[in-house]
Amino acid sequence: MYQRYHLETSSAPEIAPFPNRTRVKVQKRGLATHLVRELVRYRGNRAVALSRPCLYGVFSGPVGGFAPRSDSCVACLRCTVEYPEMVRVCLNPEHLRLGDSYFTPGHVDTVCYEARTGRVPVKGAGYRGRFGGAGWDGMWTDMSEIVRPTRDGIHGREFISTSVDIGQKPPFLTFDEQGVVTGRSARTFSMPIPVLFDVPPPSALSPKFVQILVSAAQKAGTMVVLPVGVLKRLKLEGRAIVPLVSHKDDNALEGLRFTPLMIELEGWNETLFREILVRFADSAICLRQDSFSKEDLSKYYHSGVRVFHLTANYHGFGRDGRFVLDLIREAHAAFLEAGCRDEVTLLGSGGIIAAEHVPKAIICGLDAVGLDTALLAALQARFLGDCLDRQSSGFQLPRRLSVDWGVQRIENLLASWRDQLLEILGAMGLREVRRLRGEIGRAMFQKNLEREAFAGIKGYDH
Amino acid sequence: MTTNSMLKNSREDSHSGPSVAGEESRSDEPLIVKKHTAYLRRGFHLWPELGKDNLPAMGDYRWTSDLILSTWLQAETGKPPNNGLEYRVGNSGGGFDVLDLKFLPEDQRLANHGVVNLSIPLNRRPYDCSIEIPVPFYGAGMSFGSISEQVMLARAKTAQAWNTFTSTGEGGYPDSLLAYKDHVITQVATGMFGVREETIRDARIVEFKYAQGAKPGLGGHLLGDKVTTAVASMRESVPWISLFSPFPFHSVYSVEDHKKHLDWIKTINPKALLAVKVSTPTDIDMVAVGSYYAGAHILNLDGSYGGTGAAPEIAKKTIAMPIEFAIPRVHRYLSQEGIRGEITVMASGGIRTAYDIAKAIALGADGVILGTAELVAMGCTRCGNCERGRGCPFGLTSTDPELSQLVEENWAAGRLGNLYRSFQLQLRDILRWLGLTRIQDLVGRTDLLIYGG
Repeated sequence: MYQRYHLETSSAPEIAPFPNRTRVKVQKRGLATHLVRELVRYRGNRAVALSRPCLYGVFSGPVGGFAPRSDSCVACLRCTVEYPEMVRVCLNPEHLRLGDSYFTPGHVDTVCYEARTGRVPVKGAGYRGRFGGAGWDGMWTDMSEIVRPTRDGIHGREFISTSVDIGQKPPFLTFDEQGVVTGRSARTFSMPIPVLFDVPPPSALSPKFVQILVSAAQKAGTMVVLPVGVLKRLKLEGRAIVPLVSHKDDNALEGLRFTPLMIELEGWNETLFREILVRFADSAICLRQDSFSKEDLSKYYHSGVRVFHLTANYHGFGRDGRFVLDLIREAHAAFLEAGCRDEVTLLGSGGIIAAEHVPKAIICGLDAVGLDTALLAALQARFLGDCLDRQSSGFQLPRRLSVDWGVQRIENLLASWRDQLLEILGAMGLREVRRLRGEIGRAMFQKNLEREAFAGIKGYDH
Repeated sequence: MTTNSMLKNSREDSHSGPSVAGEESRSDEPLIVKKHTAYLRRGFHLWPELGKDNLPAMGDYRWTSDLILSTWLQAETGKPPNNGLEYRVGNSGGGFDVLDLKFLPEDQRLANHGVVNLSIPLNRRPYDCSIEIPVPFYGAGMSFGSISEQVMLARAKTAQAWNTFTSTGEGGYPDSLLAYKDHVITQVATGMFGVREETIRDARIVEFKYAQGAKPGLGGHLLGDKVTTAVASMRESVPWISLFSPFPFHSVYSVEDHKKHLDWIKTINPKALLAVKVSTPTDIDMVAVGSYYAGAHILNLDGSYGGTGAAPEIAKKTIAMPIEFAIPRVHRYLSQEGIRGEITVMASGGIRTAYDIAKAIALGADGVILGTAELVAMGCTRCGNCERGRGCPFGLTSTDPELSQLVEENWAAGRLGNLYRSFQLQLRDILRWLGLTRIQDLVGRTDLLIYGG
């Protein structure tokens, strides 16, 4: 029986201390003097004299403002507005150390909120960030003012599909005289969300973390890419697992006890590709590479590759220094030009650290995105320095990490990101995420808009 | 009222209302409110002088601490600051923040005593009633429920004093606003909350909200904690249940359907001017033309970076284009179609300062609509906790019976009036320094802008 895709969310509070954005400092002597003055002024009426300015409980401890509870502070600043001489609300340096130069403390805050609650972050008072910027920040998505086919989808009365197909998709079928399909047939499988988990960095490849990823992928109906050596060592198997093999692995696929839906090949090696093709005829084979030239894509396509995984570093930059957004657009356009875009699947990972990046990457041409550092941030991993690439980056997971907690955090994150994807699709009036792929006409880029709006204005010469 | 009355925790306490405390403590409530109101007002007075260095957690890229504090100062003095606060631009690195005005050399500027006309017509068609406002701005739609009745009243009083307008938003029309009905725009939005025949009949301007910049394509959100009994009664809904306005109007599939909507209003109130509030999608130029042909007198372009109510963060940042890009696109397209002179284009969604107003007009708007700037003038710190629990800790975007008392309507109206006065002074200076005597002559004058990005 048909069942609507649903991710079960439940509260999963942080297990390691999470630094609040602000710290509240109160001048204790000033406070004592103030209280005495207030008690005199209000003739001993404690209810009035001791009434506090905070709605969120910062001063609700047994000794009130003498030991402010900074973790409850939401930075409304009412306390410091009322009592400028006594109260100071400062940015917490520990909070500023969260994440790294790309995965900013603000991103960590958002991801942790999403992983904790499974909700869509909602706030009042408008947008606070930079106007635009490089990469994803210089891109906006479209919306429609009037009724589109599935306008009500967001609120559940109608259905918006987030399902995507991965694998080999022949442009047409051929039949023999008896009506039997001949030639290539579709070898695809579906994922209910256009998100998979990318290979974890070696510094985080603990059995527990791997187990969290596998279990979360199973529950969410998605996949996790894991080095084949790790699979064998931990004796992991299942539909959710995508073995990552390289020609450097000796007898990589020997001893693999299951037939995966997909196998990822790290870097092009025709011999290994052919071997996998023969041994795992029912599996999709994905070629993973950190950059693809137009010629590469054509060559691999003609060699039979139908699933491509374009990887960038954790900050979203490819080997040639270009941002992943441009790399995706280029790869997508190359397939379009070659007239085979619908036959291939384009996956991408690197630099996808916020919910908004998923629809943006899909608009640029991906079928599905791979998550990496966002999963680690959701599990409260500490970034050890600037984490640029998988091999050299260090992450420290919480000591109290448990599989159940981790799975719930990731499921919450996925639920929140999927809901946000639905918001974007709903605003555009799109019925399914598959129709978003490569829909550049539904995107707006800062440099184009600026050129149109500001051309002719003195000083604008872009 | 308990000693912690000002820190009742959201939902549970909100449900039980102000009577949670015992008889004795309840009697302290006026005194507690009075005490905190006095301290807040003192703080709004002191902080612009104490300076931003002491408020490291205040502000963001769009509304820097300088902008917030300078708005507080303008709301107190009615003049632009002269204490070094940057009151003209924010620090967002784009849009209005990288545009400057090309002022004439000092010896070529118009004399200070010369008359400068800031008025704009809201109906530019040759028929229907003529409404002119003396300043090129009016107040944005903020609903009862998203803000308190006191704040609504303060805005209405200011609109009346300045002979301009404010808008109900989509939360209905409190009776207390009726005294100001000639200056209150009735908004009809997708939720139709509180829309009644008489509030349409009473209005000089009726606004159809198709979309709003902060959450384009998503409809209004009023989270359950803010749906108090009074709010629910006004909206004819159930208390403490979140209200998500549908999106869009489910009867509008085309420009023809859009015209049908406007015709309904004209049937009820033939004298009303019709405003259409839309967001800024890629085809905003076509939407603008469609609105004109449907009969709209005013087109309100609501950019994606503004908004005062609760909105998903992803919508604010990601969906639809900023107003700085939408204005010139619409202005040019309407001009090319030969209809620019027959519709008033009002820009909103990220207009913070008098300089933003001038830049928006130079890009092609006739005037602007102010939302957040008004709230900041009344004491908003832009903390973004509007939707949480009892709402704004300053009592602005809150209908909590206790918190909303922190904003007294006459005090707030005074501050708004002062902000308007400061904007008026600055706009007059800006025009003189550009060599212009009428704000209408600035419309579309991109040659008077300099890009500094």
